Amino acid sequence: MRVLIVDDEKPARDRLRQILDDEDSYDVVAEAANGREAVALAVEYEPDIVLLDIRMPELDGIETARHLNELERTPAVVFTTAYDEYAIDAFEARAIGYVLKPVRRARLAAALEQASRLAGSTLRDVASQAKLDTQRRHVCARVQGELKLIPVTDVQCFVADQKYVRVDHDNGQDLIDDSLKSLASEFSMLFVHIHRGALVAVDRIKRIEKSADGKNRVVLRDGSHVDDKELIISRRHAAEVRRRLKES
Amino acid sequence: MTAAPEPTREDTQAYLPDFCAAGTLFIIVLVAELVAIVLTLAAHEPQGRFLIELSKTSIFVLWLALLGAATMCLFRHRLESAGKTRAFVISFILLEIMCLVLSEISWQLTRIFGESTIIDDSHGTFILRTFAISSIVIALAMRYLYISSEWRRSIVVEAQSRISALQALIRPHFLFNSMNTIASLTRTNPSQAEEAVEDLSDLLRATMSNPKEGSPLKQELEIAAIYQRIEKLRLGDRLSVRWNVAELPMRARIPHLTIQPLLENAIYHGIELLPDGGEVVVSGKRDGDSLEIAISNPVAEGKERDKQGNKMAMSNIRQRFDLAYGSRGSVDIDEGENRFRVTLRFPLDEGRE
Repeated sequence: MRVLIVDDEKPARDRLRQILDDEDSYDVVAEAANGREAVALAVEYEPDIVLLDIRMPELDGIETARHLNELERTPAVVFTTAYDEYAIDAFEARAIGYVLKPVRRARLAAALEQASRLAGSTLRDVASQAKLDTQRRHVCARVQGELKLIPVTDVQCFVADQKYVRVDHDNGQDLIDDSLKSLASEFSMLFVHIHRGALVAVDRIKRIEKSADGKNRVVLRDGSHVDDKELIISRRHAAEVRRRLKES
Repeated sequence: MTAAPEPTREDTQAYLPDFCAAGTLFIIVLVAELVAIVLTLAAHEPQGRFLIELSKTSIFVLWLALLGAATMCLFRHRLESAGKTRAFVISFILLEIMCLVLSEISWQLTRIFGESTIIDDSHGTFILRTFAISSIVIALAMRYLYISSEWRRSIVVEAQSRISALQALIRPHFLFNSMNTIASLTRTNPSQAEEAVEDLSDLLRATMSNPKEGSPLKQELEIAAIYQRIEKLRLGDRLSVRWNVAELPMRARIPHLTIQPLLENAIYHGIELLPDGGEVVVSGKRDGDSLEIAISNPVAEGKERDKQGNKMAMSNIRQRFDLAYGSRGSVDIDEGENRFRVTLRFPLDEGRE
């Protein structure tokens, strides 16, 4: 079994490696010091199991696991934590594998044995029960076999594009698998529907402009590459857009 | 009698005794009877009439006392919810009004039944005397209840702050992470593991001691430095701490375990959430007879970790500062956009050595 170790603290990574090096059936293929690295290394090494620390800066363990779900070969996940009463309750309730630090040899072996793949919805529930961010800080796009993490703060808008959702962000455009509906509920604090097929970041809206044909259109801050037609506010959503703009 | 804003826990703690309880009633009867005896003794009655006078006074005083107790029993819950100072003022007024009404009723009753020997005074004098005496007795009783409730409160606060001082230091997260680090180091770097065990022991020992008069600053800073060493093993280059404390007199006293928990907060809520870490700055200033220690840390953008936990640690330190210095000390929090800063101010006290 190929294992990827993810922890922001070196001694914690060393400890896991020490134990696994003694076991014949497990092979540590890589170590990552944060969630971002973990996603990149998971693409590169295609591990069977990822050992994930919950408390990490920027991308916490649960969000990292949600992004790992986007991989073609989704790895099984085992969480590690020193102390998280809420998270542990959540894991117990859903039979999700975890080990407590200080890590015990026997406990780690048992958890790896039972490790399984986790559904995205399960992880979202866990995050909320563990009092961690249920809102991801990144959305994840698959680009030529690689996973690309796009910070939500960089996103200008999400636009429904046939089967996919297109993300327009500061560094270009990408397609993601999430549905517009789930994005709308996850990021309801930051985004607003301007029509049925588009979510726009409220803080990216510069103003609302009336065009020659009498239609209201959103004007975005800093040079966007969004097609103007896509930014027309539908009559049904106009009041809500104005309200959100006023609030911000 | 200033009503300081108190933490919620103390608010729910009763400061008026249960006037319906048998024990309290017994004491009320006893005190009333003693008052009656004092009044009769002071009245210069001719010999042989003492017991008769005493019984007359007793009936009246007991009547007042028991009805007063009944009133307080009835209104106690409502009074408690009004807040401490207000509760005492309202009870005082309530009891005074009751006394006036009752003495008026007594006067009228004796007039109806015509036995003027029971009350020898004129109407006005009688009411006035009752009013004056009852005011003094009630005021004394209120003062007593107030002081005893303050005393009880201070005991509770002290006990709580002791317990929470322990909890503040041994954050499970820290303890288990340190143990994990040590487990890892026993193989890769045994001598470092050895040091870590020693440091952790010193730290735990410090939490278990509880010097009442506070610790010298030197010792407090040492404990914080030991803590820093342990965290450094775990966080490596991500953690750096700058100490600008040369200006502080090292013998100055400070409540036990105040700096280390603040450093811990700075790391837990600040450094740990930053991928590249950052610098915690501890700086001390002396201004005549007062000292100032500020601890600041960088904060991760838009991420709040367990604000509740942070508040608990802060209110704990605040409570202990209150207990030690009253209004002469302060704990201020400055939540800037990029840095979080806690500033402690307290008077210089070099202890008795």
